[in-house]
Amino acid sequence: MVYLRSEEHVQRWLDTNGWEPGATITAVQTNELARTWSWSRLDPGWHPRTIEESQAILGGLDLTGEFWSLR
Amino acid sequence: MDVFDLDVRRHVYFSIVASGRAPNAEEAADALGCDRPAVEASFRRLHDAHALVLFPSSTEIWMANPFCFAPTPHSVEAGGRTWTGACAWDALGIPGALHGDGRVRSECACCGEPVTLEVQDGALVEGAELLVHILVPAREWWSDIGFT
Repeated sequence: MVYLRSEEHVQRWLDTNGWEPGATITAVQTNELARTWSWSRLDPGWHPRTIEESQAILGGLDLTGEFWSLR
Repeated sequence: MDVFDLDVRRHVYFSIVASGRAPNAEEAADALGCDRPAVEASFRRLHDAHALVLFPSSTEIWMANPFCFAPTPHSVEAGGRTWTGACAWDALGIPGALHGDGRVRSECACCGEPVTLEVQDGALVEGAELLVHILVPAREWWSDIGFT
């Protein structure tokens, strides 16, 4: 998962490396996702999330569809 | 995940925040009052459960997501330290995990131009124009967590 400056840079980066496109999201979406995903990592009572809980986080940020399916 | 493994994981994360680095198995065993093989076995179970990531063929900690202990392009200033994020997502996860502000210094994967992202009060106040690309579908992330 990498930062890119524009859609043009995304395409050039994919072409240069010969990779099929995955998913492009904005840095704002990534920040919301990362913040929610990592928020409880240091909680003393942390326990592993279930797949359903993780999927709900993705879904709550409109990251849905086959690409974002954890199963 | 049993109570011992949760204790080991908690110790690992608290040590990371306190010292800025991941403890090795011997340090964790000393702190927890148990023997090194027990901690190494726990590290392996935590790795298998995706609660830690060990370097290949090792019991040294590579990632305790979002914190990473190998060089990457993603440097993060947060909580009074400079950290390394494993990827674009984890770099922004570090201020989240620390419940604070943060600044990510990284690069455009295409052109290598430096990029900066700043998080204040949970919001991205610099770098909002940037994009993040994920190559690997979600169900395959843990097939090779170093390449997503």
